[in-house]
Amino acid sequence: MASIFKETQSIKEAVAFINAIDVNKFSRLISRIIQKLHLKGERILSEDEELKLQAALSLEKPALTLVLETVSFILEQAVYHNVKPASLQQQLEAVHVSPDKAEVFTQTWASAGPELVDKLRQTVFAPKKLEHVGWQLNLQMAQSSQAKLKDPSAVLQLGLRAEDSEAQENIFVEFSHQELLEFYNKLEIVQGQLDSLT
Amino acid sequence: MSSHQTKESSFLGGRIPPEVESMSRYLKDASLTLDQDTFRKILKALVSSIEGRDCREVMRHIAESSVIPEEKLSHIVAGMYRVLTEAIRIPTSSLKQEAFKEDLRELRIPEDFITDFASVVFGSRRAALEAVTSERDPHLPTLDELRWRVDVTISTSSLARALQPSVLMQIKLSDGSLQQFEVPVSKFQELRYNVALILKEMNDLEKKSVLQIQD
Repeated sequence: MASIFKETQSIKEAVAFINAIDVNKFSRLISRIIQKLHLKGERILSEDEELKLQAALSLEKPALTLVLETVSFILEQAVYHNVKPASLQQQLEAVHVSPDKAEVFTQTWASAGPELVDKLRQTVFAPKKLEHVGWQLNLQMAQSSQAKLKDPSAVLQLGLRAEDSEAQENIFVEFSHQELLEFYNKLEIVQGQLDSLT
Repeated sequence: MSSHQTKESSFLGGRIPPEVESMSRYLKDASLTLDQDTFRKILKALVSSIEGRDCREVMRHIAESSVIPEEKLSHIVAGMYRVLTEAIRIPTSSLKQEAFKEDLRELRIPEDFITDFASVVFGSRRAALEAVTSERDPHLPTLDELRWRVDVTISTSSLARALQPSVLMQIKLSDGSLQQFEVPVSKFQELRYNVALILKEMNDLEKKSVLQIQD
């Protein structure tokens, strides 16, 4: 397959730094980066962690930043094209990443990659996402305007979460038997559409 | 206590409400001469009011054109309103027309007026009256409208080939709120499963013998 990244000047520089890093430390670094990759807008490492890492890897701040950005970029491209591990290894070696580092990169990608791809597949652009479904079945016995009822009624709780927030917003909807049946029929129609896709 | 009576107490309860007591007193009062025409006008205005329409104008007109002193008239109106609302509260399966009429006869309300009352409580407009009064009672929002869309995401900025189906739903609730949200396919299955489960439980509940008893 076509290469997913070109050997630009900055990649050359980054590779030079990468090759100098101890392989075990590098392995841990990649694992850490791949964990945080799906979180857009969040720093991969906190300020503290970056400082510690600079010391541990004997890299100055600009060098460390370049390494982090390059590794992230390579992984993002790998995700985007959903490359096979073997292909990734080949391409890394093509830009002169040392074999031991390329191996570590590839192994991490092979184990954590599929999960990352899956997570990104599920990422939503809609303002809110349905996260939780809860319900309660009640038997209504009476109300101000009517005595001696025996009406079953269901309350559906829909927990929605916006993409960038932690808080879940709950919507409560009440249904009579007939109303719930109509709702279910609509869901069945949607299911029919989903089925026709596979 | 007559031997042929099998029911416990009047549909108005163990103690007759005071406004109904005074109403029946005034209706019996021959000197007041409440004619059936006026009675029917009041009845019609009350039904209109129960249905939610403003009937103050109509009521004022009735009061002005009637010879009955306003204070006594207001007692009559209050009593009539109480009779109607209490009767509508009880399902027709429990309170039958004959029993209703009997209860009113015990209050010595003239037979013509009883017939008129019965024609409202057991007439064709009964279902509409029940629906309107029921709406005013507390309840959670119900589903007014559900619109949906099935999408397949071909690719995103993160994935060249995503090929992920998803459902977008827009629900409009009876309290006016509008919610739009995406439902991942797995959650959709969960929603569908749960709704089916509730329906099954509702069916089981409705079959239970305890609920079949008419009271």
